[in-house]
Formats: sequence, structure tokens, C-alpha cells
Amino acid sequence: MTLLDFARGPALQWSMIILVAGVLWRLGGTILINAKKDLSKARKEHAVADGLKTIATRSLPAHQFEKNIRFQHFSGYAWHIALFVSVLFFAPHILFFESVLGFGWPSLPNSIILITAAIALAILFALLIRRATHPVQRIISNADDYISILVVIAPLITGILAFAHLGARYETLLAVHLLSVEALFVWFPFGKLMHTALTFPSRYQAGSSYGRKGVRA
Amino acid sequence: MNSNAENLRNFRSRLEAIGEGANGEDPMSDEERVRRAGNAFLREINGRMAVDLETCIHCGMCAEACHFYEATQDERYTPAHKFDPLRRFYRRELSPMRWLFRPFTRKVDAAELREWQELVYDACTGCGRCDMMCPMGINISELIVVMRKGIASAGLAPPEVQALQNEQLTGGSLFGVDAAKLRELVSQLKSQQIEVPLDQPKADILVLTTAVDVLVFTDALAALARIMNRSGASWTLSSKAFEAANVGLISGNTSAQALASGRIIDQAAAIGAKTVLIPESGHAYQALRWEGADSSGNELPFEVLAISEFVTRELDAGRLKFKAAANGRSVTYHDPCRLGRHGGVFEEPRRLLEAMGLENRDTESNRRENYCCGGGCGEYTISRAAPLRQKVFEIKRREFENTGADAVITACSNCRVNLMIGAENARWQKPIESLVETVAKNLTDA
Repeated sequence: MTLLDFARGPALQWSMIILVAGVLWRLGGTILINAKKDLSKARKEHAVADGLKTIATRSLPAHQFEKNIRFQHFSGYAWHIALFVSVLFFAPHILFFESVLGFGWPSLPNSIILITAAIALAILFALLIRRATHPVQRIISNADDYISILVVIAPLITGILAFAHLGARYETLLAVHLLSVEALFVWFPFGKLMHTALTFPSRYQAGSSYGRKGVRA
Repeated sequence: MNSNAENLRNFRSRLEAIGEGANGEDPMSDEERVRRAGNAFLREINGRMAVDLETCIHCGMCAEACHFYEATQDERYTPAHKFDPLRRFYRRELSPMRWLFRPFTRKVDAAELREWQELVYDACTGCGRCDMMCPMGINISELIVVMRKGIASAGLAPPEVQALQNEQLTGGSLFGVDAAKLRELVSQLKSQQIEVPLDQPKADILVLTTAVDVLVFTDALAALARIMNRSGASWTLSSKAFEAANVGLISGNTSAQALASGRIIDQAAAIGAKTVLIPESGHAYQALRWEGADSSGNELPFEVLAISEFVTRELDAGRLKFKAAANGRSVTYHDPCRLGRHGGVFEEPRRLLEAMGLENRDTESNRRENYCCGGGCGEYTISRAAPLRQKVFEIKRREFENTGADAVITACSNCRVNLMIGAENARWQKPIESLVETVAKNLTDA
């Protein structure tokens, strides 16, 4: 079995199993911890609508607070969007999704994808440096914070190298790229990348618990 | 009767005396402290908090919402850092991934509980401004409350908070204000032709007051009585349950909180009250309106209203009327955190100001985004935190000054005490007034 066969075969399968089982375990285990019923009389009975609204509004700039967090906020938007564009609209990726899902969608030109990947990578490096140097982020950081950035950076770097055929044979570069994505899958359920799923119940709770008091959260 | 300024001076020396007279830590071994804190964490962490503790991405944006961080740039005051021991406890003991997290997650020890005392009592008023900022929607202030509960259970609440809690827990009084002291004030008010029904066997409305109003803002209690009498409501104060303040909520002692709420709930039931009226106290509103039912384990058999909610209702019903007081005077309304952000009462006070013809000029941060006075949730009782509080006061002062308003007005006696102390220290001359007193002054005679 070549490295590429391994990356495309058992490594992919196992990483997917760990990803799905881990996400279900952590999400399910968290949500199933007994939530206490609030006995106070709600001011407004729109708690569900308020919860759903907060899921959306917490993605928006934070109005009054914005002036101090602008860099973090907009760099966050930029790298998430750039990453998703690179993942979802790169022609070879779409071929892979098509082989799994049975359907594909139009791709963006490679030159655009190279730019979006470079943007995501540059911002992630900046955020990594910020995390290591900014006093607030330093004091609240743990290994998870660094591992989580590194497992997102790695597929971007290996992807760009594979695209540019730099440093090794294409098959090897592709295998390493796949393995780096699989490393991300394996880490996903254990670290803070889980916010991808957890942010929905978390924001919902904020919206509904403040909402029942008549406060927009 | 003494002036507010003189009363405030007396109250300040009383506060300082509490700090000096209080005992230090409750005696127990460090192992016992850690065990008790852990038990409190286990008892308090619910499903909602579990989601929040799992979701924090350590972005640190919450620091930018915190007035203590803003005033000092001290990274230890980052809200997400303030609940770090709780997060680690959760990861070791409760998380669905605890089998994996435990070997990599340091255990919480007694030294940390001591260290975090300052972070969660001196440098957090539980104001919840960070809750509004968090991009993940984490209810940070609720997690910090659980930190207080753990630290209080470990016998490590600050001595002032501990002393006040013990006073309320044992005798029911606060700052030495007991039933006798209340009766004394009621008869003083009577001599000024202000009738205050005390211990009526039956009444529709049980009205509460606070030790701070009895000791410092006697005018606020007189104003409350005038408003109630003018509305024609059937009301009473009760010498068995007059204290609205709830030190258990402040200290993090759940049973003390339940006991203080229980006194009020029982008395309201005994006199058949349909409404319990909260005086100008933000945390008292939170304790009864939003947490009273949970404290007692049952839905409350009466409604809980803040005084501004009551007056707005009476105004709408035509039972109270204001004189046209418009004289070009402008005020800036300070939203008490626990009445506003934690309570949902934003618009009633503003409506009243407008109805009285006063121009309200909101500060740049207001309503759900308002800055805390800097001394809420018992913080202003902690003597050693005075310099920190003063730094935070400067944020408030800047915002107030930028409005150009003639006076600051608020609806919480603790905010008012704290702002007045801040102003006095800074030799800042702006009057800091009470909404309820302003309302009483502007009622029509008939």
C-alpha cells in the first residue's frame, strides 16, 4: 500500500469514523446533561424566536462593542470565508465531493482559490502570533488553542504545496495533504473546533434565557 | 433628618468597619476547601452551563466588554479567565470527554481558589456586559456566579461579604438595620406626615425596602411611601420581611439566598399579597423576580414589580399623575445591571422621566450595553478593592460627562451609593439622584 492508498483508504475511513462518532458523543453528552427548568414567570413568551434570532445576530458585528474587537471580528470573518471558499470551490475538491455525494457544483478558477487559501493562511498565522503574544489571549490559551490552529493551517499549507507541485512528488504531496485533513478530522471532536456545532445551542440559550426576561441578547 | 451626604459618610465608615471587624477565612483544611468547592460546582453546573463551558473558543473578546479590564488592561480580569477553574473542573469531572481530558487538565487547588477570590469578587460585578459581547453566546456572568458559589462554599468569600451574609443568615438584618430600626424610621416619617403602613395583617402589595435606604436614602423610602399612598393601593411594609437585599445572591451562598427570599415569599403569602414591590435595588429585583421561584422550588404566588414598573402601570391607569415639571433640566439615566440587562427593565424608567418632562440623555453605552456602576453585586463593600473601583468609576464619569446632562439618575440604591462614593473621591460635583425620589417630587397633589 502506498502512502496515497493509505491516505485515501483506511486513514480516511477511520478519521471519518472518529469525526462522526466523536461529534455525536460530545454534542449529545453535553446537551443531555440535565437542563434546569426556569420557574420564574417569563416577561415575554418568545424565548424560542429570541434564541433563533441570537444564533443569527451573534454572527454580526457587535455594535457598541465593535470598536475594540474590530480586528478579531473581521479577521475571523475573512479567514472562515476564505477557508470555506477554498474547500468548497476548488475543482479537484468538487470532484472528490462528487465521488462521495453523487453530485457536484461549479468551481472557481485556480488563481482565485490560490488567493483565498493564501488569505486564510496569512490570517491564521497572524492570529497564531497574536495568541502567543497578546496578554489576554496568552492567559486564556491552552494546548487545544494551538493544536486547533495548527490542524487548520496544515491542510492549507499542504494543499498549496500540492497545488504548486513543490517539494516532493505530486502523489506524496497529495497524500500528505489528505493526511493533514484527516488529522483535522481526528482532532475536531476533542478540541475547540467543536464550536462549529456547539455555537448553535450556546447562542440559542443566550437568546432565549435573556429573551424571556425581555432582553435582546 | 440627616442629609444624604451625612448619611453617606456614616455609611462609609460603617462599611470600613465591617472590613476591619470581619474574620478572615473560615477555618478548614485546604483539602476540605477544594472538596466543598467541587461539590458546589457539581451542584450548580446544569446543562446550559455545560454547553457554555464546552463552547468557549478562548478568543478573549469578552475582555473588551469588561469595565475592570478596560480600566486596568490587566489580562487577569478577562471574563473567560475568571471562570477558568470552573472550566477545568468541568472538563475533569463532567464533560462527555472527561476520560480523555482528565490527564491533561490540571486539578483546581486551594491556592487557586484564593487567587480567584479577587478575580470574581473584587474584579467582577456579574454585570453581564460580557454576555452581550461573546460571539459564541456564552452566558459568562452565570459561570462567574458559579465560581463565587464554589469559593464561598470553600469559606473563601471576602470577609466583608462573608460578614454581611452571616448577619443576614442569622438575624435577618443587614448593616444592623433590624425591625426596631425600621420602626424608628417609620415613626420619624410619621412625624413628617408621611404615613407608612407597617405590619398590616392583609394587604394587596407587600412593599420592601433596603438597609441602604433606611440608613442612607431615607428620602427614597419617604418617596416610596408617598407614591404608594397617592396611588391609593392597599400596601404595607412588614417588620418580619422588609429587607429586599439578598446577600446570598451576592456572596454565592445558595441556601442564604433561599432563606432571604423565603422570608419575603412566606410573608407575602401570610398577608395575601398579590404583588411584591421591589424598591430601588437591582440585585433584589433579580433575586426575587427571576430567581425567587427557583430558590423556593415553586412558582411564586404573586407578581414581583420594580418600583418603576409599578409607577408606569399606575400612570397608565390614571391613578398617578405628574405635574408638568419641564424646566429644561436634563438627566442621564444609569441602567442598573440587574434591573436592566439581567432584569429587562429598560424602558419604564425612561418613560417616567419623559412623562415628568425631564430630558433623558442616554450615555454612549446604555440599556443592554450599559457599563455597570463598578460596585454592584457587593463589590462596593470590599474595602481593599476601592482603588480598582475608582478606576472603573472614571469610565462612568467620562460617559456621564459626555452627555452634558445636569444630573445622573438611577433606580438602584447600591449603584447610587457606589457612584456617590466615586464622585466624592474624584471631587466630581454632578448630582446623583434617585428615580423614585424624582417621581415622588413630581406627583400632582390630588
